[in-house]
Amino acid sequence: MTAEPTPQPPIPDDEGLPRRSFLQIAGYTAFGWIAGATGLTLLESPLNKLFEPVNQKVEELIFRPQKLIPEFPKSAIEPDQLIVNSFRGNPVIDLANFRLEVTGEVEKPLSLSLDAVRQLPYKSMVIRHVCVEGWAAIVEWGGVRLSDILQMAQPKSGARYVYFDSADGYFSSWDLASATHPQTLLAYEKNGAPIPLENGAPLRLASPLKLGYKQSKWVTRILVTNDFLRAPQNQQLMRGYWEDFGYEWYAGL
Amino acid sequence: MIASGLQIYNANPVFGGRAGLHFPMVGLLGGWLAGGRHWHFAGMWLFSLNLLWYGIYVLVTRRWRHRYVGQNDIKALQLSHNPKRRIYAWHRIAYTAIIPILLLALLTGIGMYKPAQFHWIVDFFGDWFALRVVHFFTVPAVLIFAVVHSVLALKAGGDRLISSMLFWQPK
Repeated sequence: MTAEPTPQPPIPDDEGLPRRSFLQIAGYTAFGWIAGATGLTLLESPLNKLFEPVNQKVEELIFRPQKLIPEFPKSAIEPDQLIVNSFRGNPVIDLANFRLEVTGEVEKPLSLSLDAVRQLPYKSMVIRHVCVEGWAAIVEWGGVRLSDILQMAQPKSGARYVYFDSADGYFSSWDLASATHPQTLLAYEKNGAPIPLENGAPLRLASPLKLGYKQSKWVTRILVTNDFLRAPQNQQLMRGYWEDFGYEWYAGL
Repeated sequence: MIASGLQIYNANPVFGGRAGLHFPMVGLLGGWLAGGRHWHFAGMWLFSLNLLWYGIYVLVTRRWRHRYVGQNDIKALQLSHNPKRRIYAWHRIAYTAIIPILLLALLTGIGMYKPAQFHWIVDFFGDWFALRVVHFFTVPAVLIFAVVHSVLALKAGGDRLISSMLFWQPK
């Protein structure tokens, strides 16, 4: 190391960046981006464990149990935008003998036929259905309020969660507050007509409050619980098909 | 945010939907949709809090009075022949313009994250597609800004600027 700087000729400072240097810098940057992204990707799961509690707290705070999400006029319906997703094909359902079971932490377990479900007050709404994939569709859902069915069953005082089993093996769980929100329906109509099988006939969850993967199709059983369920073999939390893969549980919009 | 955002984009591209162009896996962050979301909804805290702090800092120190583009810069671009003054003016335009772009990215992001509770954001942009497009376009805007900003800075500062940032002497 020299004690004093060696005299230098004045540095011309208007030469700009030579092409070679630019390419070098660009190359290092690109390499850094790719290597970084590849490595950092491995951190996504621990990062989720750190941040999902925070994000869930925020969405629980901004959720208003009785506030209605603004609905749309029927003219706004976008029938072609509603993509059909399912993790398997459509299940085969015996409609004549279909029963909706409501069980768990309730005073009065129910076993409702479709006719019994249709006896309950009808509610339809035109809302935006949002998928975790990033697309959305304005759709009209018609059916019964889930809260009406739950009220019939009378959840016990410790009840906190509502599980939904589907005919194709899919399942999900909701917080009780969102499940009893006035705009959470068990729908049997889509865009003014009986709901097609591929959209979840005879009964599917429908709500503007949560992402699409929370809105189970082909609902056959509703289970009210005080706590999350755990797998018997390893006590792993079971909160939903996609939720157990790592997607948000609360998934509030 | 960009790397994880494009990971999310790939799940259903804004342009063309499933049949549309997907970004190559190579520079993306997250590996899969949920992974992309984990990064995005973690990084958003750093992004927004940093932006908030920057805003507070600018207001409190009153930098907004003299650090951003002003009438003098517009005049300089019209009249000045001094290349350094002109570069300086363009530079100020660039780094002033990036602020609303970043704010727009944040606002449209919140709109897509919470479209029910913050439905007014979606309404403000018209519809869902418009919201996605605006959010997505902040990506090339920011990338172009990064390139332009760097090029202008190097043009203004040259070798002296580079050597002030490096631990070694540039060749």
